[in-house]
This record gives sequence, structure tokens and C-alpha cells, in this order.
Amino acid sequence: MNDRSQQRRPATFRLDDPGVVVTEADETGRLSRGTIQITPEPDPMALPVPIEAARPVRRGFPWGTLFWSGLAGLTLLGTGLSVVHLIEDLFARSETLGFVGVAFAFVTALALAVVIGREAFGLARLTTIEKLHQRAAAVLANDDRKESRVIVQDLLKIAHQNPQLARARATLESHAGEIIDGADMIRLAERELMSPLDAEARRLVSSAAQKVSIVTAVSPRAAIDVLFVFVAALRLIRQLAYLYGGRPGALGMIRLLRHVIAHLAITGGMAASDSLVQQMLGHGIAAKLSQRLGEGVLNGLLTARLGLAAIDVTRPLPFAALPPPKLSDLATDLLRKKDDEE
Amino acid sequence: MAFSFQDMVEEARLSARALIDYGEHFFNPTVRLGVTGLSRAGKTVFITALIHGLTRGGRFPVFEAYASGRIARAHLAPQPDDAVPRFAYESHLRALVEERRWPNSTVDISELRLVIDYQRPNGADRTLTLDIVDYPGEWLLDLPLLQKSYEQWSAESLALSREAPRAHLATEWHTHLATLKPEAREDEQATLKAAKLFTDYLRACRDERFAMSLLPPGRFLMPGNLADTPALTFAPLDVPAGGQAPEGSLWAMMVRRFEAYKDVVVRPFFRDHFARLDRQIVLADALAAFNSGPEALHDLEAALAGILDCFNIGRSTLLSSLFRPRIDRILFAATKADHLHHFSHDRLEAVLRRAVSGAVVRAEDTGAAIDVVALAAVRATREAQVAHGRDKLPSILGTPVAGESAGGEFFDGNTEVATFPGDLPVDPEPLFNGADAFRGLAREAAEKSDFRFLRFRPPKLAREGNDEPVLPHIRLDRALQFLIGDRLS
Repeated sequence: MNDRSQQRRPATFRLDDPGVVVTEADETGRLSRGTIQITPEPDPMALPVPIEAARPVRRGFPWGTLFWSGLAGLTLLGTGLSVVHLIEDLFARSETLGFVGVAFAFVTALALAVVIGREAFGLARLTTIEKLHQRAAAVLANDDRKESRVIVQDLLKIAHQNPQLARARATLESHAGEIIDGADMIRLAERELMSPLDAEARRLVSSAAQKVSIVTAVSPRAAIDVLFVFVAALRLIRQLAYLYGGRPGALGMIRLLRHVIAHLAITGGMAASDSLVQQMLGHGIAAKLSQRLGEGVLNGLLTARLGLAAIDVTRPLPFAALPPPKLSDLATDLLRKKDDEE
Repeated sequence: MAFSFQDMVEEARLSARALIDYGEHFFNPTVRLGVTGLSRAGKTVFITALIHGLTRGGRFPVFEAYASGRIARAHLAPQPDDAVPRFAYESHLRALVEERRWPNSTVDISELRLVIDYQRPNGADRTLTLDIVDYPGEWLLDLPLLQKSYEQWSAESLALSREAPRAHLATEWHTHLATLKPEAREDEQATLKAAKLFTDYLRACRDERFAMSLLPPGRFLMPGNLADTPALTFAPLDVPAGGQAPEGSLWAMMVRRFEAYKDVVVRPFFRDHFARLDRQIVLADALAAFNSGPEALHDLEAALAGILDCFNIGRSTLLSSLFRPRIDRILFAATKADHLHHFSHDRLEAVLRRAVSGAVVRAEDTGAAIDVVALAAVRATREAQVAHGRDKLPSILGTPVAGESAGGEFFDGNTEVATFPGDLPVDPEPLFNGADAFRGLAREAAEKSDFRFLRFRPPKLAREGNDEPVLPHIRLDRALQFLIGDRLS
């Protein structure tokens, strides 16, 4: 070995030696020359392991899918048949009308094919992101290095479409060749790629929540704010999905909505305990001031909670290195804004 | 013809046994876990930590069945073999937790049965029985002897003993050997002396400075209840490999005793404990070899290769599980990973992978699943960064056992130290490149060696109420997931 001269020699230091100083990780003190500073590191294996809320597992035969496929097929056949009849009728009446009919039918079919293709692409992309999420969670637990590299490559591919992440991508790519344990690699990717997106996601959720609460507070009819809440929620989920790299179409949205609601049902109980008391207090006080205002705050909070569930579902990596956004942060945003306005 | 007949009888015995086992396991699924490792590799500690983790409840996030709560409980049960002593789990645990010392080295075989009650992901309640056997690592070195004749073994042992650094340790035995004539009349006194000197030489090789692994026959070092029997009184002679021993000669006597050793000691040991394994973990202490030098690393490589040749590895089929069980999963574990900063764990894994490369390739060819992992069954250290001048050294903190020394200083077993053991290379290949690959204690003074891995005392653990504390570990859960995870799903 020629590089032996560069290799570092083994060394041992007694902790009770007067020349040795033991400092905590967050301490930054200036040391006199010649002292040896020892900084114990937090034990990576003793940190609590986050246990993900299990995603609903599909069981047994997919009767629902079969039903919808059959129904869609029948509808398509029926429509096709009636179109054929229509064109035949048109030809019978006049040849020109018939050709116009054929042209319209052709354009419609083409557009339908493109729409279906886009939907399929969107669904496939959602599946990729969900898989990525699960794989990343598995690597965080078992620290598999090879798998972590593959995940980071896939993640870079997804992030490629987002021009804001150009620098983050470059930084992450520069780390690809270094020796980093599997779980650390995932955490690194999360810190680099996800933190700008997380900030944006939080902004989206909190602005949607604000809008909902204001509209609820001022809307003249209940039907209007129900409609508005629904539209705002859909829009929020769609925006979040786009932000994290998904491209859901209509079917993709239905699937996302189902996942978000399932997630909300699972995590709702857990989240309830952490901040429900504060929320109710906040709501109670707001309701004392004005009933409308109270409803507005409550609707805003519900939207925020939905947004958080949507973040969990659409984000390609689980929250490991970064803290997940909490409802209480968003709720504070919401109430502060309210206070400013009043 | 005599040999092949004997082999046939042996095979028939193994098959009969496998058939009986199969019948039993049909109703009561059992995994026989072979904990294989040379002496001082950490078998006893591994078994203790495994049992403690499963029965008392440990932190096993990667062990899926455990982390997701599917394992209802695990408890100890009476073992199946009545003639084998029970594994002294309680006293080993007491040594680790209360006295903060590693369990004494194992002198005899022992066994324990662990019953795991679990629920399958589809909801059915099941029970899995785990049989674990502990034995002195030295005995393992006997297994390769089964395929060797006395003449072969003599030639190999002599050739080994003439290499550095063994030659120096073997001087006395070599001098006595020169006075012996293989063709002379048999002579009990000369044999006794030769056996004693040979044993002394083997024992000297085991010293921490040299850390040699390849030291058959194992019972010479750890005789158990067979001490001083004729089966353990023989030694290599300088005889031609293909020669025939004249009747009544010293040579013939040695041959007879060597064969007796195989019959009385090695074959029953193999038959009772190794021929019926389902899963195997091979523990290897590469760090002791790094301390000592390239020769010790080569020795470890050769010893592991020889041992792994004896096992029946391959994908399990119905036929094989009926007549000759196969090991379908092998985990190679570099133990004592807590003696290194976790930045270097991958490099340690690479070194082990390189050391067992032959066995890995063979296992992969037969369809068995293999994995290599750096683990510590009981984690004795914490990690720290040491800023020393301009250098930042990824180090570990711990209490070295009494009598360890580093940098000319001896430790009393109460002082806590931070130690940087040296950088493992990224590419393991140069380490295996001849005798000058790196400097170890076997040749150089302690100040000049490239690596210094201190031995640490077990960690100080606080009791939680009346329960014993949870033992900290490194990747024990990953090992469990690989070894029995699939049987629990």
C-alpha cells in the first residue's frame, strides 16, 4: 500500500486526561492550542424509529375495479354504436354531412385516446411516487445502501421537471459517489430536495385554509361555502401533487382523494390528541366573538388538516430528517392572519 | 473399501435422522439456527443477546415481525436433546449486565430452545421453535479433518508451522519432531511428549498478538471430558503424503489415533449439530486479525473457507428436507462492529465479503441466499468526533477491559477512553496482498501497527424498574430479519 503515509494512525485518548476536553455537539467554545476536543455524537441507532401509519392494503379480488371497467367498456361500446348509427344517418341524408360527422368522430376518438393516455400516465406516476415512498421508508429502516442509490436516482428523475430544484439536484448528485449509509442517503436527499418543496407546500396549505375560512365567514349561504370548501380542497390536493412531482388527471384525483381520506381517517385519531384542545379553545373563543367567524376558523382548520394528509400522501419521501408540518403551526398562521384582519 | 462403507453408514444415519426430524417439524415448525464462529468471535454473546432481545423485548425496528407487533411473545422451553447441557443464558446475562464482563469462553457444548408465538399477516396464530446450539469455536476447526487422511493433515500442519510467524512459536516442537522416526517402533512416551509440545505450539499461536485461527485439531485446545485419552494423544509426523504406514510403527499408531479422533470426536459432533441446520450465521472477528497482521487475516480466511466447505448449502427442496437438510440462508457477520465508527462499517463488510468470497460464490451458485453484515450483538461503545490538531477523527468512546494497552499505557478497566482505531481501506483487496499489506502486532512493536482495536467492557446499563435493561446492539435486528424473518410471515 503506497498510501500508507496518508493513512491516519490509530490513537487513543483518556477522557480524564487534563489535555482532553469533552464538549457537547451544540457547544462551540474556543479551545487553547494543543487541547484535544472530544464530541460525543448522538446515537443514530437509539433515535426513535417513526412507524408509518399503514396504508390500506388491498385485499382479495378487485371487484370494484372490475365493475367500473365493465361499466366503462359498455358505455364506450354504446357510445360507439350510437355514433356509428348517427354517421350512417348523416350519410343517408347527405354525403357532405356524413364526412363532417366522420371528421368529428375521428377528432373525438383521438382526443379520447390522448386523454386516456394522460390519465394512465398520471396514474402510473402516482403509483411510482407511492412505491418510492414505501421503498424509502424500508431503506430508512434497514439501511440498504444499494437500494438507497436507486431511490435517489429515481427521485432525481422525478425532480428533474422542477426547475427550482436545479441546484439541490446538483448538490445531491455530487454526493452520489461518496460512502454514505443507506438511511443517511435518504435523509440527505430529503434535506436537499424536499425542504424547498415543503416550504411551498406549507404556504399552499395555509393559504387555502385562510381562503376557506374567510369565504365561510362572509358567505351568505351554507351551500356556497360547502361548494367552495370542496373545490378548494380539490385544488389544494392537485397543487400539492403537482408540487411533489405527480401529474394526476381526473382518475388520479379520485385515487388521491381516496388515499387522502383514508389517511385522514387513520391519522385523524393520532393528530386529534396533539392539538384538538387548542383548536377547540381557539374555535370556542372565535365563536364567542361571532358564530360566523367560529365556523370560518373551524372550516379553515379542517382544510389545513386535509392539506397535511395530502402532503403525506403525495410526498415521495417519508418525513425522516425534516420535521413534518404540524396543524398547530398552520392554525397559528390562520388565527394570526385573522387577528391582523380584525 | 472400508472408507466408503463407513461413509455410506454415516450418510444413512444422517438421512434417518433427517426423516425423523421432518416428521416432527411437520406439526411443530422448527428452525435450527447454526451459530458458527471460531473461538472469540462472540457466539455466546450473540446467542445471549438474541434470546434476551426476543424474550425481554429489544429495539428491533428492522425485524419486521417484531416491529409490527406480530410476535406475541417468545419464551424459553426445554431443549430436545437430553444429553446436552442447557445454555446458561441467565448467568451469561448476569455477567454482561451486572458484572460488566464478557461471558467466559465456552468449554463445552450447550443448547437452548426458544419458542416464538406469532401471528401471520393473514391473521393465523402460529408457533415457531428456534433451536440454538453454542459450542467452543475451536471444535469447529475439526470439521475439515473429516475429508483428510493423517498424512495429508500432517503435511499441511507442518507446512503451516514452518511459515512466519508460526515457525518461531513451533521451534521446540520442531526440535522434538526431528528426533522422531516415523518408521520406528511405536513409543508411548515420545508420542505423549510430541502431543504436548504440539498443543503448546497451538496454544501459543492463539495469543492475542498473533491471533491465528487455523489451529486444528480443536479438542487439543479445548479437550472437554476427553483430556488425556489416546484419541487426543497424537501429533503430525514428517511423512510422505501418499505413503503407507509400516505395521507396528510410530506412524501407524498416529494414523490409528487420528482416525479414532475423527470417529469419537468429529463425526458425532458434526452429525448431532451441523448436519441438520436450516439457517446459519457465521460470525467472524476480523478486528483481532487486523490487530495482529496480514498472516492472521490469511489464517482467518483459510479457516473460514475450510469450515464452510463442510456444510450442505443450497436451496431447500422437499426431497432434500426429507433426507438431507440444506442450509438455504447464510449470513456472514463481522462481529464487534461497535469497535469502529459506523462510517467504516461498510468497509468492514467489504473485508469480510472478500475473506469469504469463495464460500459466497459457492452459496450463490447453489441458490442459497447470502448476506454480509457488520454487527455488534451487544454494543459496548458510543461514537464521538475527536478534534486533534487539524485532524477530525471519527472515534469511539468506551471503557477498555483491564489489561488492555494502547500508546504504551495500560488501562485498569475503569477509565473511559476515546479511541481511533485506524482507517480501514475502501478497497479490501490490498489487505490480502501478501505479508507486507499492513503492519500488525505479530511483527512490529505496538506503536508502529496500522490498526489498534481495543477490547471494551460491556456497556453500563440502568435497570428499568425490576426488568433487566434492554441491550443496545448494532444491526442484530437486520440479522434476525434475514435469518428467520421469512419463516415468520
